[in-house]
Amino acid sequence: MKAIGIHSIDYLVKQLPHPVAFINKKFKLVAASKAWLEYFETTMHEARESNLLHLWNNKEDALWEQQLRKCFKGSREFGVHYSTDKSGKELWSKWTALPWYDEAENIIGAITSLEDIGGQLEQEAKYEKLESLLKEQSEITKVGIWEYHVAKDRLTWSEMTRRIHEVPSDYEPQVDTAINFYKQGHSRNTIAMLVHNGLHRGTPWNKKLQFVSAKGNEKWVIAAGKPLYKNGQITRLLGTLQDVSEQVTQETKTKESERLLRTLIDNLPLNVFIKDTDSRKILVNKAECEYVGVDDPSKLLGKSDFDLYEKDIAQISRDEDLQVMKTKKSILGKRTVNVKKNGATTAFLTSKIPWLTLEGESKGIIGISMDISEIIQKEDQLRDLINVTAIQNKKLINFAHIVSHNLRSHTANFSMLLDFLIKEKEENEKERILGMLGKASENLTQTLENLNEVVAISTNVNLEKKSLNLNQEITKVQESLAAFLRKHQAKIDNQISDKVYLKAVPAYLESILLNLLTNAVKYKHPERIPEITLSTRKQKEHIVFNIKDNGLGIDMGKYGNRLFGMYKTFHNNKDARGIGLYITKNQIEAMGGNIMVCSEVNRGSTFSVYFKDEN
Amino acid sequence: MDQPLAYTLKMKIRSVYIIDDDSITIFGLRKLLDKLYKDLVIHEFENGKTALDALTRLQKQNKPLPELIFLDINMPIMDGWAFLDEFLKLPNTSTVTIKIITSSIDIRDREKWKSYVKDAQHRIDFITKPIYELDLVDLQVAS
Repeated sequence: MKAIGIHSIDYLVKQLPHPVAFINKKFKLVAASKAWLEYFETTMHEARESNLLHLWNNKEDALWEQQLRKCFKGSREFGVHYSTDKSGKELWSKWTALPWYDEAENIIGAITSLEDIGGQLEQEAKYEKLESLLKEQSEITKVGIWEYHVAKDRLTWSEMTRRIHEVPSDYEPQVDTAINFYKQGHSRNTIAMLVHNGLHRGTPWNKKLQFVSAKGNEKWVIAAGKPLYKNGQITRLLGTLQDVSEQVTQETKTKESERLLRTLIDNLPLNVFIKDTDSRKILVNKAECEYVGVDDPSKLLGKSDFDLYEKDIAQISRDEDLQVMKTKKSILGKRTVNVKKNGATTAFLTSKIPWLTLEGESKGIIGISMDISEIIQKEDQLRDLINVTAIQNKKLINFAHIVSHNLRSHTANFSMLLDFLIKEKEENEKERILGMLGKASENLTQTLENLNEVVAISTNVNLEKKSLNLNQEITKVQESLAAFLRKHQAKIDNQISDKVYLKAVPAYLESILLNLLTNAVKYKHPERIPEITLSTRKQKEHIVFNIKDNGLGIDMGKYGNRLFGMYKTFHNNKDARGIGLYITKNQIEAMGGNIMVCSEVNRGSTFSVYFKDEN
Repeated sequence: MDQPLAYTLKMKIRSVYIIDDDSITIFGLRKLLDKLYKDLVIHEFENGKTALDALTRLQKQNKPLPELIFLDINMPIMDGWAFLDEFLKLPNTSTVTIKIITSSIDIRDREKWKSYVKDAQHRIDFITKPIYELDLVDLQVAS
């Protein structure tokens, strides 16, 4: 029964003039009019086999499915169906679905029909578009609207569009004059092309272009346009025009100041870096890149000091960063030392400044470092120079003091003796005074000779050093002092190996040995025969020559600091020690060496001469 | 010019020490002292050490110390200042006039002398060479 019923429906439905279809609750086509099958370009057989939802091929098929389900429950539903036919023509149809009842008033499916509404829909879409544009205009200021009617070749501008163009309200715009408002060159070419494409290919556009108003003001505008169709034909162009000069100027300014800032930090002779809360670099300048040894900042971004420097150094830096971020107080001009993984050390003057969010929370640090290695090196050099100068000055003052003191003592003697001579009556006494004057003159000459010797050492700093056999030199000096040594019965114990060679100025070495040996004997203890021990030893970069005596000894507490100070005057030959040791010290120092003394009163002295070991 | 000195010697001086290593200064001092004093015993020492030893010996033997000491500053082994340090430490000495004789015009030597003058029980003078008769005369008019 049922099958016959369906067949009869099928037969009837086929002949209906409108597209009508009977669909069961399983979304299967039960029956359809010929018009319906034609609309979907299918056959009855094909339609029955395929999924109706698929056949419907509507963008809103999900909605359609829902609506049909409602219909299955007794509701009357309708909607719009859109598709294109073989030739590409758009088809707009209104569809209606009614519940399909059987004899027992049970719903067994839906009866749907379609009605072509092409022209009607186009009109609706246009108003919808206009409405939305007006809405947009109300939201964003300075958005003008325009419309171009293709057939009438009529361009209409809204009030805002006129205002942007800066034309009076009775201004009659034309397409070509409108295009001419765009700046000659890129902007005008672009808009002309966009309008052309819009008109002929239906391509919508949205572009930021330069624009010159009727009053000659240059502006940036966003020009947008969209074609509107009627019966598949482009009948109108609808568009907007937005003045964005301010935003563009703002953007340009921002970009310019960004570039200015970048140029500035890149060309600063300082290392600039910004780190995030994990002390990872998020900005570095050129100087910092050069210091680390990379050619591009991107190679440093995201890295921390631990990736670049020695662990200990990196930890110090991290602690500083944490301190700055925690206290929100800058570290300014701190002397730091950085050690790269390859061991290269650089001294910096570093400042770290907290980088805060608008809410005042730390988001990292801004760091500035100045490489002061060179300055420090210069400082060291300067300090050395000052030291040398200070020593030289001290020597000069000492020398000046000695000169004035010594010469003064002689002139005082001359003065006194001459005073005596003038007042003296007795011939014998006169003779005696004259003898004294002669002696005073001799002393003066001796003093001048000694001073000359001191000056000679100071001025001949670059005397050539030669490799000398120490024992040979000692023997020479002993021979020249033979009579003196014999007179004092001096015993000399020479423990020095014949293999010891020294680099020294020959004249100086002789003078040094002569002086030290003479002193060792001259200041002998009155109750002892002078016993002198000579020895050498190696100490680091020096060969140390020791001369030990059993003489009077020197109270080091009292004289230690001025033993070599040339303070002692040389009134007579007996007292050659002052100038002698002064000269000795000068000669040793001129050769880059040093002299030291150990002594105990009544026990004896040991003078140690440090010669630079240059062998 | 050459008339004999017209002042009386207020101080009785029998023994003088000259501590100096310059023979010309010693000669000059002797000559000047001979003029001023009769029967004067003059002892010479070439440095502070030998003089100090002699003075210590005198004290041990309870013999009188010299009334006057001429003291040079720059000498080997023990200089004038070191001698002063040691001498001032000697206990129970009679008052001695010490005349420091120096060719130094260094202001620091003069300052140092002043520091000794302050609290010494002895009289300490400072004479800059050359020495003239008048330098020795004041030891009679003073005191």
